[in-house]
Amino acid sequence: MTENKQWEPKIVAFCCNWCSYGGADTAGMGRFQQPASLRIIRVMCSGRIDPLHVFNAFLEGADAVLVTGCHLGDCHYVNGNYKTQVRYDFMEDMVLELGLEPERLHLSWISASEGEKFANFVREVTEQVRKLGPSPLKPEGVN
Amino acid sequence: MVEVGDRIIGYSTDTGVRNKGASGGLVTAVLAAALEKGLVEEVVVLKHISEYEAVPIITSDVNEVLASAGSMHTVPVNLAKYAVGKNVAMPGKACDIRGVIEQAKRNEVDIDNAYLIGLNCGGTMYPVQTQEMLINMYEIDPEDVTGENIEKGNLIFRTRSGEEKGISIDELEEAGYGRRESCRYCDVKIPVNADLACGNWGVIGELSGNATFCEVMNEKGVRLLENAIEAGFIEIQPASDKAIAIREKVNNVMLSMSEKWSEKIFTEIPDGERTRYYMEQFADCIDCGACKEVCPACTCGEDSKCTMYHNLEDNYRMSMFHMVRLMHLSDSCIGCGQCTDVCPADIPVTTIFRRFAEKSQKKYNYKAGMTLERPPFLEVMPR
Ligand SMILES: Cc1cc2nc3c(=O)[nH]c(=O)nc-3n(C[C@H](O)[C@H](O)[C@H](O)COP(=O)(O)OP(=O)(O)OC[C@H]3O[C@@H](n4cnc5c(N)ncnc54)[C@H](O)[C@@H]3O)c2cc1C
Ligand code: SF4
Ligand code: SF4
Ligand code: SF4
Ligand code: FES
Repeated sequence: MTENKQWEPKIVAFCCNWCSYGGADTAGMGRFQQPASLRIIRVMCSGRIDPLHVFNAFLEGADAVLVTGCHLGDCHYVNGNYKTQVRYDFMEDMVLELGLEPERLHLSWISASEGEKFANFVREVTEQVRKLGPSPLKPEGVN
Repeated sequence: MVEVGDRIIGYSTDTGVRNKGASGGLVTAVLAAALEKGLVEEVVVLKHISEYEAVPIITSDVNEVLASAGSMHTVPVNLAKYAVGKNVAMPGKACDIRGVIEQAKRNEVDIDNAYLIGLNCGGTMYPVQTQEMLINMYEIDPEDVTGENIEKGNLIFRTRSGEEKGISIDELEEAGYGRRESCRYCDVKIPVNADLACGNWGVIGELSGNATFCEVMNEKGVRLLENAIEAGFIEIQPASDKAIAIREKVNNVMLSMSEKWSEKIFTEIPDGERTRYYMEQFADCIDCGACKEVCPACTCGEDSKCTMYHNLEDNYRMSMFHMVRLMHLSDSCIGCGQCTDVCPADIPVTTIFRRFAEKSQKKYNYKAGMTLERPPFLEVMPR
């Protein structure tokens, strides 16, 4: 285990414009403590998240990737997040077969008002990943 | 009249074709009739170069079709992409046909205008390795070989002098020869995804060796056979119950052999070691793109998601090109082995891709290339 005190896991969260990005915003407004290492990438809809974005995040140095969007039924583009669910299931299987720990990839539906949920989710993942140490896919020279 | 579900034994009425054909020339005669009577504009066949080599051609010349009779066990091509954008009839091993179906799902092949004559397939071998095997294991000069066939688990070669020598496939494969690795665990031996499923299993008695067992899988199959009968190119008779049972039995033996190989090849790599294993395997990749180019399940052009990442400067720990492809192929890989065959860096690409695909396809109860069912990755709603 790389229990390095200095090391903070780098977490990439894909958030949809209408719900989970709002949730992240609400978390900030509610002054919930957020790990400094969170990187948010805003997309219009979680349905825009291509598995290649997720894998590229890992190859660029993410220690964990969060896929987030509106609750099922609430997607602003009708069924975008159902498609996300279909693809997420594939990404999850691929991450497992690649030998990455399952804690490194997560899916969560978060509404714009669920600031606390967003904050807790990020904190929990950060804790889990801190225990795991850096991702084996992280390029050399990237923290 | 022919009906869907019929199982027949047939052969070419032309004795030249019948003798040259692998088992009676039925396939060649049906292809020739389809061309002659205008069922199709062109036919895809193999043009023989030597006993060990042949190249696929698309032709509208009946003589070229007739000249292609015979099975080439050392020509592990995949013919699927030759059907793209054309009105053709073509023969094909299970993996050729599976490729055509994957192409059709992605609108590259108009399946209603593609006539698919499936060949039972026990496997293909590499041409150079086979000649080496003939010298080392059979003590036969490769130049003397006039034909080969598989019988009761033995690979038998015939020589110019009329002699035959057989060695069990198990023994050959233990010695590192024999069929390509993907063929050893391939689990479609009778191409039920084609319009006609043809082979020599179940051809018994005096017809053995000069007639073909054929199962009619759909309406296109009916059209192919009726067309050839009307043209006077073939003669057929119903297969006996005994013939049907034998074919079934041999198929089951072959399938259980595949299962054994599958267990042997796909031993689980422990959780903590897989990432390293994949990183090491792909570390040798020179991003040439050949494995994508030949893949019969892929319909993307030169500029596609995976090839966008053909950039060694990215210096990632693992090939992004392969990450994209592993995802795209997990529900669509048909296990044809082409990617391993062409890899200049000797990466076992197929074996790696199958590790992902076997699990995915099992999970979704989906087998790529068998029907026109939509790939699970492209579903809108989760199942
Ligand atoms: C690699 C291979 C393995 C086979 N294994 C078995 C088996 O285990 N059990 C069984 O019952 N039958 C097997 N067959 C089918 C069998 O050999 C005959 O093809 C079938 O019985 C039809 O005989 P035919 O005389 O009607 O074919 P033919 O009239 O001789 O026509 C054969 C056609 O197959 C095409 N062809 C030849 N080689 C290839 C190739 N490598 N890839 C794609 N197309 C090709 C030719 O272009 C020709 O059009 C195999 C065929 C091949 C090609
Ligand atoms: S992969 Fe299967 S169908 Fe294709 S050549 Fe090998 S055994 Fe035949
Ligand atoms: S990934 Fe390889 S084995 Fe799978 S369909 Fe493509 S070429 Fe064939
Ligand atoms: S054929 Fe081999 S070297 Fe070329 S891109 Fe594929 S895996 Fe890499
Ligand atoms: S808009 Fe939020 S998931 Fe589609």
